[in-house]
Amino acid sequence: MDNMIQTAEAPAIEFVGVSKTYPTGTNALEDVNIRINNGEFVFIVGKSGAGKSTFMKLIMREEKANTGRITVNGFELTSMHRSQIPKLRRTMGIVFQDFRLIPTMNVFDNVAFAMRVVGASGREVRREVTRALAKVGLGDKARSMPLELSGGEQQRVGLARALVNSPKLVIADEPTGNVDPNMSYEIVSLLTEINRRGTTVLMVTHDHNLVRDFQQRVIMLQDGRIVADNPGGDDQ
Amino acid sequence: MKVGSMRYLAGEGVKNIWFNRLMSLASVGVLVACMVIIGLAMLISENVNKAIGKLEQQNVVMVYMKDYNWALYSDKNTEEQPQTEETTSAEETPEQPDQNGIVSSDYKIHSEEEAKAFCDRIAKLDNVVSVEYVSSNDGLETVKKSMLDGQEEYFSFLNDEYGNPLSCAAKVTMEDMAQFNKTIQEIEKFEEVDTIQSQGDLAEKISSIKRGITVAGLWIIAILILIALIIVSNTIRVTMYNRKLEISIMKAVGATDSFIRIPFMVEGMLIGVISALVSEGLLYFCYRVATETICTTLGTNDIVRYGDMVWILLAIFLGIGIFAGFLGSFIIIGKYLRKEGSEFSAI
Repeated sequence: MDNMIQTAEAPAIEFVGVSKTYPTGTNALEDVNIRINNGEFVFIVGKSGAGKSTFMKLIMREEKANTGRITVNGFELTSMHRSQIPKLRRTMGIVFQDFRLIPTMNVFDNVAFAMRVVGASGREVRREVTRALAKVGLGDKARSMPLELSGGEQQRVGLARALVNSPKLVIADEPTGNVDPNMSYEIVSLLTEINRRGTTVLMVTHDHNLVRDFQQRVIMLQDGRIVADNPGGDDQ
Repeated sequence: MKVGSMRYLAGEGVKNIWFNRLMSLASVGVLVACMVIIGLAMLISENVNKAIGKLEQQNVVMVYMKDYNWALYSDKNTEEQPQTEETTSAEETPEQPDQNGIVSSDYKIHSEEEAKAFCDRIAKLDNVVSVEYVSSNDGLETVKKSMLDGQEEYFSFLNDEYGNPLSCAAKVTMEDMAQFNKTIQEIEKFEEVDTIQSQGDLAEKISSIKRGITVAGLWIIAILILIALIIVSNTIRVTMYNRKLEISIMKAVGATDSFIRIPFMVEGMLIGVISALVSEGLLYFCYRVATETICTTLGTNDIVRYGDMVWILLAIFLGIGIFAGFLGSFIIIGKYLRKEGSEFSAI
């Protein structure tokens, strides 16, 4: 496969001297160097405008860095051709803050949608969607419509959708931003459980309590630079 | 791509039409209007061409030959005669002139066989469809019938007293009036030709009418295809914005651009196909009513039948519909995927 780095020790994510300036002149990231290994759980924290969204967009290759080198799941993103992007994204699952569930589809179809668009067979879809829903504790809600569910349940559907294609990396963009505190703990517990089974998890959050309580590696961004990288859950 | 995926995507395209039914209906309406106008333009053009074709067939050219009658009645020939005598006398024994003072070298066509052979030579020219030999007597009879009908006795002197003044002729029919002048010039080059009687102006007019109809028809079709393209594109654009959320999720989970495109292209092409079928039916009905009225009013049956055009019109409608649907959706969704496709940003 093009642009793939085939080494046993390849990190899940690696940024080397990465800078990103938008055409408007905004410096979103400046000389970012970071390495996240396979199987790690990392919180990304920082104020609004710190560069968190740009960081995520670069990982997904929604944006391209101006300078530096980015590697994600073995793909070299800076020299990657546009046609390779779907292959990169199939190695990751994304959880959105606003859930992004399709209101006209039931829970099962919302999760199945992520499999159908990558060409999975009907049999695979049925098997994997059932498993993913069971994993997030929504096995009995498969026929419910998204609007019939609570915020926490909707986010769990989003999580099931992110997991259904068995990704190597899960990116969660403030997944607890629209749910109550109890449900926030439940969501992060689920992510921790997924991480324990070997999936790398990258979670953007503003919630200091969660960061403190879950004791994972914390990367802090400020004005486009990494100002702290603490391995043990301290975000100060 | 797997068959299951194709089925799923085609189904999504059909669903798009249903979810977006008002817009789809409006698009079908405008496309039908465009296609019916295109169809009418083609049918009118066919009918005009048919009428012109009839005119073309009637627009025959009479090529009069230098035969004995020509030598007898031509003033020019009389003036040239002494010179001919001079040149021949030096080389051989001069031929004795007949009672009218004409020798065989004064004219080029000496017999009916020679005239027919000359007709064959004309028939070999490009753009000549047929050549018919008309003897001087037949020519005179035709003139009498067409011009002097009922008054033959007043003109009997043409035969009895003064003889037949007409030369034998070749009646030439041409294929393409646009090449009329060129063909005439080629015929004029033969030394056997005396004069050519033709309706050159009519030929030119016919040719320019045909050209005008073709050009106008092509413009109408081109403009309407462009309108069709814009209409389908707008429908697809609306569907696309309605499905922005789904597109962003598809992109985020790794769907390829072609996978995202297919349902929209199916939708566009299906709108085109539906419009083509409706247009065919509507045009059939309109044309039938119109031709029945025209035939009754004008008392003619000489009109292009819809049945003769049904398949070509259907093929053209389907072609336009599928082309507009395919291209319209391809351009719009491609533009969106390249520039506005947003996977992570808030929608």
